[in-house]
Order: sequence, then C-alpha cells, then structure tokens
Amino acid sequence: MSGSERIESELERALDAALARTLTPPALPIGLRARVQAALARGTDSDAELWTVRARIEREQREQLAELERSYVRLRRRTLATLIGAAFASGTAVALLLPWLTLRFGTYTPLVLAGGGAVAGLVLAAAILRERRSLQF
Amino acid sequence: MQTAVASGASDDRDIIGLLRAGERERAFAQLLERYEGKIFRLCCALLRDRAQAEDVTQESLIRIWKALDRYDERAALSTWIYAISRNRCLSALERKRTLESLADGEVAAAVEQVAATDAEPPAAEQSELLRELVDLLPERLRRTLLLFYYEGRSTAEVAQMLGCPEGTVKTHLFRARAALAEQLRRRGLDDPQLWLESDR
Repeated sequence: MSGSERIESELERALDAALARTLTPPALPIGLRARVQAALARGTDSDAELWTVRARIEREQREQLAELERSYVRLRRRTLATLIGAAFASGTAVALLLPWLTLRFGTYTPLVLAGGGAVAGLVLAAAILRERRSLQF
Repeated sequence: MQTAVASGASDDRDIIGLLRAGERERAFAQLLERYEGKIFRLCCALLRDRAQAEDVTQESLIRIWKALDRYDERAALSTWIYAISRNRCLSALERKRTLESLADGEVAAAVEQVAATDAEPPAAEQSELLRELVDLLPERLRRTLLLFYYEGRSTAEVAQMLGCPEGTVKTHLFRARAALAEQLRRRGLDDPQLWLESDR
C-alpha cells in the first residue's frame, strides 16, 4: 500500500468513526406511543360510528330501491289489468249497442263507433291530465 | 448485513402469527414496540424536520393500524410498513413544498426557525462541521448516509427502509463518503488524526 493510499484509507476510517459519532439516531419523542394509542382510540370510536351510519344509510337505500321496484311492478300490473278490462268492457258495450246503432246510423255506424271511441279516449286523457296537474305543486 | 434483515423478517413471524389468529391489537402492540423507532428515524432522514417527522410517524402508525387487516403477506411486513411510512413522508414533503411555493420568505423562514429550534445544542466543532457538510450532500446521498448510521451500519436495513436495492445504498454511501472527503480536503481538514483525535 502506497503512502497516499494508506492516508486515504486512514481518512476513510477516521471519517467513518466521526460520522458514527456525529450522526447519532434521534431520540424517540416522549409520549409518542401514548399519543398514537390515544389517536387510535379516538379513531376507532369515530370509525365505528361512521360504519354504523354508513350501514344504516345503505340499508335504507336498499329498502327504498326494493319499494320502488315493487311499486313499478304493481303499476305495470294495474295498467295491464286496466287495459284488458277496458278492452272487454268496450267489446261488450259495442256488442250490446251494435243492433241499435245500426238501426239508427245505418252505414255510418263504423264512423260513429270510431268517433265515439275517439271522444271517450280524449275525455279520459283530459281527466288524467287534470289529475296529474292537480298533483303538481 | 443480510442476516440482520433476515432475522428481522423472521422476528416478524410472531406479529404475522397474531394477525392470522385475529389478535390485531396484540399484533399492533408488538409492531409498535419494534418499528416506532425505525419509522421515526426514517421520517427524520426523509423530512429533515424533527417536529414534522414526529407528526408523520404518528400518521404512519395510524395508517398501518387501519390497513393491518388488509396486509396480505405478499411482501415482508417490514417492507410493507416502510412503504406506508415513505408514502406518508412523500405526501408531507409535497404539502411542505406547496406551502413554501405559496408563501413568500415568511413561511420558509418560520419553517427554518422551527428546524433550528429542534436542533440539538452545538457539539464539538468537528461534529458541527461534519453535520453541516452532510446537510450539503445531495438529498439521496444524505438520507442514505443518515439511515446507515442511525441503523447501526446495516446496508440491507437501509435498502429495505428506502425501498431500493442494496447495491444502490452501497453506491450512495461510497459517493457520500467521497464527497465528504473531498470537502474536507478542500478545507485542508483531511488529516485523519484530526478526526480520530476528536474521538477521544
């Protein structure tokens, strides 16, 4: 080993020793663990509360969705039943009234029936529209 | 060096065992006992500010507690813990950078003042100079050097803490020492006796 290499090596060793002496690990702050545990205790309480609220909201949302679904199905069934009922009632009414209408209007009977149906439809639509408007604020 | 980390990982089996048994509180108590100091030192090395390091250590430990149920053993427990802590430090550094960029000299001066208040009382002149020179090193060299001496000269432990290969740590240490030696040479303080004498 040459003189300069030896000095270099000695400097490295000396520097290492000086660094080890200077760069000492920082002391752990007093009460850090207690603060962490206190924060965790607070956090656990608020977490539990948060979970309870979240679970309640999720349950309510599920219930509301299920109720909406049920209402929708009920509405569709009712609409279908109304349509079938109306069709049967119309058919019966026409069957009963046809002889009288034929006597009274002759060849215009189909037009009178169509016109009557259209008027009945318009009246029904107007009634529904009126009902809906009354529901609005 | 490898043995230190390997034994550290095997020591964590007790914590993992407790976690598997569903004893989260006991597992965390053991974890706290074993890692709070290491996390604090990592935060100190990364943040350069003792007060902030304290806050971030607390924040990291709370994060670890909350995520403990989700630890899936894919990585070593220590690697997982250090990754969480490093991420918290990076977030804190980002916040600090934003604050400093938003503020004019006033806030930056306040931050420096806090750091200065936290600093230890002046030691020997050589130690003081050495500390100043270490502070002037590029960030990645500085934090590697600090952690190397904080963790009892274990390159494997430092590599795990910083999340980089052990070879990188060794390279950073070599460069850091070379840079320090160069600075000492420039100041005419490269006589080994000078540094050995102050050891006495």
